Amino acid sequence: MNNSVVLAANLSLPNLDYKALAPMLILFGAASIGVLVEAFVPRRGRHSVQFGLSLLALLGALVTVILMARSGRVVTTAGVAVSIDHVALFLQGTLIALGIVVLLLIAERALETGGPFVAQAAITVGSEADRRQATATGSTEAFPLTLFALAGMMLFVSANDLLTMFVALEVFSLPLYLLCALARRRRLVSQEAALKYFLLGAFASAFFIFGMALLYGFSGSVRLGDIHRTAVAANTPSTALLFTGVAMLAVALLFKIAAVPFHVWTPDVYQGAPTPITALMAACTKVAAFGGLLRVLYVAVDWVQWDIEPILGTIAILTMLVGAILAVTQTDIKRLLAYSSIANAGYVLVGALSFDREGVRSTLFYLAAYGFTVIAAFAVITLVRDEDGEATHLSRWAGLGRRSPLVAGIFTFLMLAFAGIPLTSGFISKFAVFSAALGNRGPWQIALVIAGVLSSIVLVFPYLRVVVLMYLSEPAENTPTVMVPGAFTSAALMVGVLATLVLGVFPQPVLNLVDTAALFQR
Amino acid sequence: MSISNAGFPYLSLLTVLPLLGAFIVAILPRSRPNLAKQVALLFSLAVFGLFIAAWVAYDANGPRLQLRESYPWIPTWDVRFTFAVDGIALVMLALIAVFVPLVILYSWNEIQTETGVAPKRSVNAYFALLLALESTMIGVFASADVFLFYVFFEVMLVPMYFLIGSYGGARRQYAAVKFFLYSLVGGLFMLAAVIALWVLGGHTFDWATLTSVAFSTTAQRWLFLGFFIAFAIKAPFFPFHTWLPDAGGAAPAGAAALLVGVLDKVGTFGILRYCLPLFPEASRYFAPLALALALVGIIYAALLAVGQNDLKRLVAYTSIAHFGFIGIGIFAFTTQAGSGAVLYMFNHGLATGLLFLVIGMLVARRGSAMVGDFGGAGRYVPVIAGVLFFAGLASLALPGTAPFVSEFLVLIGTFTVNKTVAIVATSGIILAAGYVLWMVQRTVQGTTNPELAEIRPMRKDLSLREGLVVAPLILLLLFFGFYPKPLLDVINPAVAATLQDVGKTDPPPAAPAPQEATK
Amino acid sequence: MHALELPGTSTSALLRAAAGTSTVTGFQATFWLLIAIPLASAAILLLLGRRADRWGHLLGCASVGIAFVLGVVYFVQLAGLPESARAVQISLFDFINVGSFQVNFGLRFDPLSGVFVLLITGVGFLIHLYAVGYMAHDERRRTFFGYFNLFVAAMLLLVLGSNYVLLYFGWEGVGLASYLLISFRYTRPAAATAGKKAFIMNRVGDAGFAIAIFLMFANLHTVSFDGVFANATKLSSGTALAICLLLLLGACGKSGQFPLQAWLPDAMEGPTPVSALIHAATMVTAGVYLIARSNPIFDTSATADAIVAGIGALTLLIGCVIGCAKDDIKRVLAWSTVSQIGYMFLGVGLGGAAYALAIIHLLAHGFFKAGLFLGAGSVMHAMNDQTDIRRFGALWKFMRITWATFGIAWLAIIGLPPFSGFFSKDPIIVAAFDRPGWQGWALGSAALAGAALTAFYMTRLFVLTFHGPKRWTEGQHPHESPPSMTIPLVLLALGSLGAGALMATPVKNWLDPTVFGLPASTEITSVTAHLSETWVTVASLALTVLAALLAWLLFRRGTALTEQPAGPIVTAARKNLYGDTVNEVVLERPGKYLTRALVYFDNKGVDGLVNGLAAAVGGGSGRLRRAQTGFVRTYALSMLGGALLVAVAFLVVRLG
Repeated sequence: MNNSVVLAANLSLPNLDYKALAPMLILFGAASIGVLVEAFVPRRGRHSVQFGLSLLALLGALVTVILMARSGRVVTTAGVAVSIDHVALFLQGTLIALGIVVLLLIAERALETGGPFVAQAAITVGSEADRRQATATGSTEAFPLTLFALAGMMLFVSANDLLTMFVALEVFSLPLYLLCALARRRRLVSQEAALKYFLLGAFASAFFIFGMALLYGFSGSVRLGDIHRTAVAANTPSTALLFTGVAMLAVALLFKIAAVPFHVWTPDVYQGAPTPITALMAACTKVAAFGGLLRVLYVAVDWVQWDIEPILGTIAILTMLVGAILAVTQTDIKRLLAYSSIANAGYVLVGALSFDREGVRSTLFYLAAYGFTVIAAFAVITLVRDEDGEATHLSRWAGLGRRSPLVAGIFTFLMLAFAGIPLTSGFISKFAVFSAALGNRGPWQIALVIAGVLSSIVLVFPYLRVVVLMYLSEPAENTPTVMVPGAFTSAALMVGVLATLVLGVFPQPVLNLVDTAALFQR
Repeated sequence: MSISNAGFPYLSLLTVLPLLGAFIVAILPRSRPNLAKQVALLFSLAVFGLFIAAWVAYDANGPRLQLRESYPWIPTWDVRFTFAVDGIALVMLALIAVFVPLVILYSWNEIQTETGVAPKRSVNAYFALLLALESTMIGVFASADVFLFYVFFEVMLVPMYFLIGSYGGARRQYAAVKFFLYSLVGGLFMLAAVIALWVLGGHTFDWATLTSVAFSTTAQRWLFLGFFIAFAIKAPFFPFHTWLPDAGGAAPAGAAALLVGVLDKVGTFGILRYCLPLFPEASRYFAPLALALALVGIIYAALLAVGQNDLKRLVAYTSIAHFGFIGIGIFAFTTQAGSGAVLYMFNHGLATGLLFLVIGMLVARRGSAMVGDFGGAGRYVPVIAGVLFFAGLASLALPGTAPFVSEFLVLIGTFTVNKTVAIVATSGIILAAGYVLWMVQRTVQGTTNPELAEIRPMRKDLSLREGLVVAPLILLLLFFGFYPKPLLDVINPAVAATLQDVGKTDPPPAAPAPQEATK
Repeated sequence: MHALELPGTSTSALLRAAAGTSTVTGFQATFWLLIAIPLASAAILLLLGRRADRWGHLLGCASVGIAFVLGVVYFVQLAGLPESARAVQISLFDFINVGSFQVNFGLRFDPLSGVFVLLITGVGFLIHLYAVGYMAHDERRRTFFGYFNLFVAAMLLLVLGSNYVLLYFGWEGVGLASYLLISFRYTRPAAATAGKKAFIMNRVGDAGFAIAIFLMFANLHTVSFDGVFANATKLSSGTALAICLLLLLGACGKSGQFPLQAWLPDAMEGPTPVSALIHAATMVTAGVYLIARSNPIFDTSATADAIVAGIGALTLLIGCVIGCAKDDIKRVLAWSTVSQIGYMFLGVGLGGAAYALAIIHLLAHGFFKAGLFLGAGSVMHAMNDQTDIRRFGALWKFMRITWATFGIAWLAIIGLPPFSGFFSKDPIIVAAFDRPGWQGWALGSAALAGAALTAFYMTRLFVLTFHGPKRWTEGQHPHESPPSMTIPLVLLALGSLGAGALMATPVKNWLDPTVFGLPASTEITSVTAHLSETWVTVASLALTVLAALLAWLLFRRGTALTEQPAGPIVTAARKNLYGDTVNEVVLERPGKYLTRALVYFDNKGVDGLVNGLAAAVGGGSGRLRRAQTGFVRTYALSMLGGALLVAVAFLVVRLG
């Protein structure tokens, strides 16, 4: 193992399959250009330039991903650091697609003069400068940052060794920390959110490194494949190393997934972050994190699933129930969705833990479907505003259905999707993961499904409460006005809703896609 | 599973047509509510016409499932749009086809005048929801694919939720949410069972195929419970019933009539279509439990009905009692009881529907559903009082009205296998007389409540439109009270087939008698 | 519309064996018209509404009149048939067919039903006629006639149905009509309540009747008369007894026999013609019809017969005793009805040829009781609806026709020759003594005592109403009623006079074929175990005359105008022997409390449980929420804890 890439004496550049890496390269490149744009393009033009650039980059990346997928090639490149297999391609495609939709939200400036972001995150809140920038046009760094984040995520889901995975993790986390701090309104909360996210994220990363170290100690390699091989040839003395390592690794990943008890940051961050960024985290971060988890579970340690099941199973059950129960008493719509996203992480885990192709398939489908729905939900939230920004307190939503039936109707539909009512993607996803779990017929899987059913019952309360507020109760005196969405938001909204509907009524094409995609390479 | 799309696609059209109507009504300009009403009525009548054609096309002595259509939907799980009906489903469809036009006609003005309905509420939306509800209800009865059934079963909740929640009376929010949650809880248990069914049943959802699968005893019992809980909540059986009085009490009378008269039948229908044929052993195993629940329901709900002061809640409780009879009929496992139960499902729809509608007329006039606010109302509105009384007689199953036949069949069929249950249930007919007459007496008889004199609408007796609403129901109740044969001819084979699935046959006469003697 | 039974089928063969049915063609096959005509008329009257107000009552009378004429024709034709074939069956259509449960909508016209048809349509027609005048001032007269016709139709279905389900059908139908007519003045709470009471108490009986039908089906897989009777002997004695008792329960409900007698007096809330037709002449005798019709089953169980007779004897005494204590003219008559039907039950209970006696008494009673009620109605008509006999007196001068007809009916009911009561009631008493053993003594003496008491309270009624001093309230100007009311009175009086002649006619012989089970030729035995017929007759006559004289002596000077304190027996009698009290204490009050308790339980218990669950979730959520402090340190700590747990768990699972 002394010839492994990491320790190679002569640092000859490993061969790179540019076709396979193209999507990531495009995004990284565009992001870097974006930074230059910030430097050279005059302020007026920046927004449009940045947006155009980012959009082009994402579209380009999407095209290359599709081409790669069509070619049907499965490659391990950059030495063996990156593995572009079917799962990776599907996740990358999903990330880009979701990214495009989020980008629209980020680019929206019709709702608020200067857009959802401020120019500088670090200015002391309440200071003169802060008050000035409250009305000034916001930063456009958001675009390159987003691109960096997305690129990092794409690398994360295709990383074939822990080191690359860790780098990717940091690459997509740091921009998110920063973006969280950029909210135009409620600066203090925004900064607090960013800080919390950063500190806890760092904490989690520490676990990741620790776990990586232990696994290296166990197998003498950071490659998932090697770890697998070493462990299979298991007359090795130190399984303790292996399992502590896996545990630490799991902690870090579960943190990103926001699984109980590593979910604590989620509500605060989701609430504080600018809503478009919340959408980005809820949709894309989840996809990336689960991509990483799946890879670790299925490539590195699948053979010990019997030992992993009880622990991750317990965590999944906790995640579903705690998320659901806590959602019941939330009074802030963003926090409510935060907890619902926690519960949903639990459902995805149900799929992931069935440890078979069905499981991968259902997980992939769930991630894609959920991403679109949640983005649409947050898009609606950006629309419900009063004089001091988004009115996220539920009491303010009373009677919204009377003021603006269309928006309320859309949000109701999304709530029903979250509740898993048929003819929405939410139902198909739930059905997919549950059927995968029951199909496995293991005792833990059955327990997971039962917990899933119970938590779904509990979750119906909060979702329904929102609907009741919007429709059945009379409008309050100062019901916030629903802004007429700008072209960007409307587009994002439309995409999200259509995806939710189509995946609910005619899921077959996507099911076929995930079916072919549900293959890892080791 | 054969994909024989024999002949004209009646069932899919029946499902799609009202949905189309719902969309059209929804997009009509809010400024012209009358247009919306007319369009809605037109569509519901079209559905009725199409159904008549379907009824004609159905061959009572033909194969068990007819008018079958099957189109692929989600091949990954072998989910198909498979529509097909047996006699039981056909009768339920008849109930829907007859009822929705009448409810639309009934709601013509009531929906604005009835208590608690804020005038702001969109009239178009109400009628659109009615049609959407009709579509889902038809779908749930017509689907022969378990997944498809589940989809309709759940989606059905949404329009009804808004009908109650947006157009109901006082406490409508509470009632709507309660209704939704109860049904959804049941639904989620059923979902688990449905998935398990798919896993154990060889990865198919085709009902016809699944009936031939023999599940292990344990599996059967768990799956049965999964389905049964959902259906018992829907029906509802004691002790899952408490949502119904709230929903029925809060819903506008038209919606309440649909809810209690038609929608709830999905519960008992589901038991007949899914629990019994798919899990025969479990059905036999749980029959005593089900019988006990049903029996308690009959007495318990009847007594509660006597104690109600809100007319709509009272009717809701009476129907819980009636569902008890249906439940007994289903789980007695004899041809008489079974056919009686199915017939009961139809007749109860007519009778309770009529009761809800006529009470709605009274409530719309009086502006209150409280019995205490009436009293001697017959002086002012003799005809409505008469209709109310007739509806009451129908719901206490007086001979000459259709429910008598079904109730008698249920009881006599049950008696042949389980005397105790039948006898206790028979005591229910005394209580029935009690709550109906007590209600009639307090509402339209006795000394006239002086307040009524002030209320001008109370002076207006049955209008022509209202007459058109109640007349068909009254005629049907009388006709099938004297000549139930047309329905029984359709029902009997289906019930016989179901009992065959369960593996039960009628007992021979206890004292041997020559068969000639049966004429 | 109606499909005739095919001759020669095994079915009709069996019928002939059992009942001597002849399948019919042509005119006789149209006797379903008997039901159809009044039904149609009722429908017209009730549906046309005010439009029919002017001529409605005429149509009502006409329909019943036509039915009567038809009835007579059919009856004569039936009489023309050979005795073995005196039962005509037609089947209109299949009513209910499920599995082996085959109910045909078939009708049967045989001597028993024939006699009832004549009674119902004949007396019914007279009472309709009477009602035209009686209800003249009522704005809802048309509705009244609608209900009246409905009743006639239902009653005819009851007696013409050829199987138990149709009998039940008509049974409930007359119950409905009775309810509608009792609470005809529904704005009077008393009327509404009385109607409800009648319907519900009847339903109790009906439930028993229904279960009896279930038993027949469960044991024989048939509910048609022929089928059941042909196989009655196959029933185990226990089953047979059960069926009989359940039928008896139904009969008691309908006929106001103990223990379900309480509703009948309250039923007098209805207009007087109703009391006359439904609660005296026809409907209340349906119980007798049911038992007479079911005699093949009863014959298989001596116990059942004894119980029927016992119930009859007991009820007839109850009726008499209470009758003596009442001061309301209609209530006295109501209780006398109860007791007279007691005689009929006694008769059918005695079995054998006494069936015929009971039916004949039923006919005679139909005439004189109707006469009495209509007479009472005529009196009330004259006295502004006064019903308190203490407020009458000396009316004979003012309304001679009423007085005369009432008098005839009075002599008929107390059973003095040559009036019908004597010929119809006396043989029952004789037959009662025929009963071997102590039963004979008990039943006989009860019947005898009943005769005496009847004489007493009916004489009291008659004297206080028509003789003695005036005790009227202010502003009374009694006058004879219009001819539309007096003519029926006269006809009924003639009937009460002549009905006794029925004993001379072959009526009781042709009733025998329906009483199959014993040869048609049987005559009433005159050799008795206890007393010879002559002795019984002498005794009953003597007692009757004495009791009547006593009553006359006591009351010819009138009576106190207000209720006087009295001994325990009289008080008890005034309180209907506490029948209502018992009902209230044993059934009504507990029922009320139970209902209230259940309503509470349903809200707090069942519903509370669910809401409690929801509340629990909410509470848990609130508690968990506090863990979300917002401090990074807490978050970090929880993560650390979680991490440790996971690590430990892994190691435990693996190494432990």
